[in-house]
Amino acid sequence: MPQIITEANLRSLIDSLVKESKLVVGPKEAGSMVLYQPLSNGADLKLGALPRRSSKELFFPICEDILTFGKEDGVTKVKDVDRASFPDAVLIGALPCDAGSPSILDAVFSWDYNDDFYLERRKKSTIVGIACTSCDDACFCTAVGYAPDSPAGSDLFLTPLKDGSYACNAVTEKGEKLVSAHGSLFKEGAAADAAPLAAPDTAKLDLAKIKEWLNTHFEDPLWQSIADVCLGCGACAFICPACHCFDINDEGTPDHGTRRKHWDACGFGKFTNHASGHNPRDIQNKRYRNRIMHKFKYYDDKFGKTLCTGCGRCIRACPVGIDIGDILNKINVQAG
Amino acid sequence: MHAEQVKHDFEPKVVAFVCTWCTYAGADLAGTSRMQYPPNVRVLKFPCTGRIDPVFILRAFQKGADGVLVSGCHPGDCHYMAGNFHARRRFAAFRALLDFVGVDLNRLQFSWVSAAEGGKWVEVVTELTERVRGMGPMKEFKELELEEQWSASLSTPELKAAYDSIT
Amino acid sequence: MNAKAQKAKGCGIEPAYYDAVTQAIRSEAVKVLKEGAVSAVIGYLPGRRKSAAVPAVVTTEEEAGRLIFSPACVNNLSLYLTKAKKGILPGGKIGIVAKGCDLRALAGLMGESQIKRDDLFIIGINCAGVQGAVAAGNGQLTEASIAKKCRECTAHTPEGVDFVAGTLPHLDGLTPLEAEELARIEAMPQAERWAYWKEQFSRCIRCMACRQVCPFCYCEQCLCDKNRPQAVESSPRPAGNTAWHIVRAMHLAGRCAGCAECERSCPMDIPLNLLNRRMAQELKELYDYEASMAPQEKGPLNQYKEDDDQSFIK
Ligand code: SF4
Ligand code: SF4
Ligand code: SF4
Repeated sequence: MPQIITEANLRSLIDSLVKESKLVVGPKEAGSMVLYQPLSNGADLKLGALPRRSSKELFFPICEDILTFGKEDGVTKVKDVDRASFPDAVLIGALPCDAGSPSILDAVFSWDYNDDFYLERRKKSTIVGIACTSCDDACFCTAVGYAPDSPAGSDLFLTPLKDGSYACNAVTEKGEKLVSAHGSLFKEGAAADAAPLAAPDTAKLDLAKIKEWLNTHFEDPLWQSIADVCLGCGACAFICPACHCFDINDEGTPDHGTRRKHWDACGFGKFTNHASGHNPRDIQNKRYRNRIMHKFKYYDDKFGKTLCTGCGRCIRACPVGIDIGDILNKINVQAG
Repeated sequence: MHAEQVKHDFEPKVVAFVCTWCTYAGADLAGTSRMQYPPNVRVLKFPCTGRIDPVFILRAFQKGADGVLVSGCHPGDCHYMAGNFHARRRFAAFRALLDFVGVDLNRLQFSWVSAAEGGKWVEVVTELTERVRGMGPMKEFKELELEEQWSASLSTPELKAAYDSIT
Repeated sequence: MNAKAQKAKGCGIEPAYYDAVTQAIRSEAVKVLKEGAVSAVIGYLPGRRKSAAVPAVVTTEEEAGRLIFSPACVNNLSLYLTKAKKGILPGGKIGIVAKGCDLRALAGLMGESQIKRDDLFIIGINCAGVQGAVAAGNGQLTEASIAKKCRECTAHTPEGVDFVAGTLPHLDGLTPLEAEELARIEAMPQAERWAYWKEQFSRCIRCMACRQVCPFCYCEQCLCDKNRPQAVESSPRPAGNTAWHIVRAMHLAGRCAGCAECERSCPMDIPLNLLNRRMAQELKELYDYEASMAPQEKGPLNQYKEDDDQSFIK
C-alpha cells in the first residue's frame, strides 16, 4: 500500500528537516516570480508554478568559490574550498523536468574528471520530486521522453491527489530513508484519486531520428534560417536545467583573490574565442547550432542521454522568440 | 614645526583621482610648501580628468575607499582644451546615477585645483577627509563583496578572509 | 480579472487595427522587394505560440507576404543593423519595420554614425502599443498585458519614415505606472534606495540578455567582459552585478532610446528601464537633451557648453 502525506505534513516535514539543519530547497515566491530557494519553514513552499530558473543551481551554483589565494610573507598561499563543508540538502517540490536533470548531468561531471564540487553536493542531497499539474504552451516534456508524472531522477516522488494530499513513491534508498526517518508524518493507506496531471500539447519527437539527421547536417541552411536572429545572450542556457557550461575566473588582485567557477553559455560570442583572436564559431548561427548539437547529438554520442527535459524555459525566456520545440519539430519533419 | 597629530578611532581611506597638469602639480606645491594635509589621501595621477572613467570611482569604492576625490584643471585651463568640460558633464550624470542607486554623495567630491592652488588642495582634501571620518566607513560596497547567491553561500571562511583583505 | 473584462475597461484596441497594419506592411514589403528597392526587409514573422513573434530578415516576396504586426511584435529591430549583428544582412539597401520607440533607436544609431539613412527604407508603424512580458501574454493586448513603456508613449506616430503603416486608433490614457515607480524610488531615503537596488541586482544572473538586445550595446569588446585588467567582475555575484548595472546605465546615458528592450528581455525581471529613465530625466534637466526620432549630431555627453552646471564641483 502506498504511503500518503497530507499537505500540512509535507510542510511539517520541511520544518523538521530545517530543524535537523539540512539545507532545504524548494519553490518559493521571490517578487514577481517563483524560484528554487532555501526554505526557512514549511510555509515557504510554493507549489503549482514552474520556478523561473531550474533547480540545477543546488548542485551547480551560479557562481562558487574554488579557492582563494593570498600572499603571506612574499609567498603565495592557496587555500582550497573545503568540499566537506557542503551541507546535507533536500530538494523538495522539484518538478519532473527539474528533478530529472541531475541524473543527466552526473555523467559529464564524473567522466574524465570528477568534479567534486558538483558530486559532493549531489551525494549529499535527496530529491523529492512532484508530479506536475499545470503547464503552458511552451512545455514539451512529453516530446522528449519525460512526463508530468515521470519520477526519473527523484529519490522520493509525490503525486498530488484529489483530496489535497500526496501519494509517496520511494524511488531510491535515499527516498526510503527520508520516509522512514520521518515515519510519523506519513501514513499508509488507500490513495484517493490522483489529481489531473498537466497535459502538454506537443507531439512526441523521434529523438533517434533527430540525432541521425544531426549526424549528417552540420552544414545546413536550417541553422541560418533559425538562428541568424539569435542575440547571443545566455538567458536560455542559464535557466535551463541541463546546460552545464562554466567558466573559471580569478578575481581580485595578484596579491589576493578568489578563483571562481560560474555559469557560461555556448551562445556567448567569447565562448570559443581563442587567445589568438581566431573564433571557430565566428557567427551566431554556428553557436546556436552548437546548442542543438550538444543537446541532441554530442551528449548522446558520449553519454547516451539527451540534454533536455522539455521544461520550455528557454522558449519563454528567449528575447527573440526562438522556440526549440518548434525547431525540433522542423528537424523531425526534415528527418522524415 | 609640525602640528600635533591627533589620534582618531577611524582613519578613512580617501582615493584622489587627479590630472597631472593642474591638481597633481597643485598637490605637489602643497608638499613643497610644507603645508599639512591628512595623510589619508592616496593620489592617482591621470593625464586629464577626461581620462578618469566613472568606473574608476566605482572600483575605488568597491575595493575599500571610504571617500573619493576627483580633481583637475579649472574650466578653460585644460591642457587638452576640453577634457574637463567633457568630464564635467559625465560626472554630473554619474553623480545622479550613484545617487539613484543609493550611494551617499557626501563621499564623492569633485574639485578644480590649479597648479598654483596648493592651499585649495589642502582645504579640499581636509574637508573631504573630515567629512568622511564623521560618516564612518563605507560599508555598502564592502558588504556586497561578502554576499553570494544562496547556492554558493556555503564557503564562508574563505569569503570572510577575502572580505578582511579589503581594508 | 479575466482578459475580457480588462479589455472592456482598458486598451480597447480592436484586432482589426493590427490586421490593417499587417496588410500595409506586407504589401509595402512585397512592393519594395519586387522593385528591387531593397535587398531584404527586417520585420516580424508569427511564432508558434500565440504570444510570440519572431524577428526575421526576409528576402523573398513570398516571405514578405507573411510578415505581421501584432501585440507580440515587441522587438526593437534596429539592433540587427548594428555591427554587433554583422554578417546576417545581404548588402544593399535594407527595409526595416519600426515602431516609434524603435525609430528613436535608429535615429540614435545614425547620430553615432553606425548606420546611414540612405541605406534604409523605413516602414514606420502608427503604433498603438505592444505587450510587456511575452511569456505572460495570450496574444491580446489588455490593460494588464500592455508594456509599461507603451502606457506613457510619446512616439505613437512615426516621423521621417519612407512609409507609414496603419492608422492610429483612439487610445485611452493609461496610468503611467513606470513614472510612478520612478517617483516612488526617488522619494525613498538614500539607504532604502540602496537596499532596493541591492535586492534587484542580486537577482541578476549575468546572462547578458539586456546587453545583447540593446541596439546601443554594439561594442565589439565590452568593458564588462574584460579580465585583464578586470574593471567589472564578470562573476554573477551581488558585487559584480551592482558594478555591471551601474556601468551599463552609465554607458547608455544620453544614448538610450528608451525602447525598454533590456528590461523586457531580463529573465530575472530586473527593472532596468528605471535606471535608463532616471538618466534620461537627468540629462533632460541638465542639458535639455531628449532621444528623438530625428538624428542628432551629438549626444549630451559628447558635447559641452562652457557654462554647464558645475555647482557640485568645488
Ligand atoms: S512605446 Fe510607443 S511606439 Fe513603442 S511599442 Fe509602445 S506604443 Fe509603440
Ligand atoms: S538580462 Fe537581467 S539577469 Fe541577464 S544580465 Fe541583464 S539584468 Fe542580469
Ligand atoms: S538601454 Fe535598454 S531601453 Fe535603452 S536603448 Fe538599450 S535596450 Fe533600449
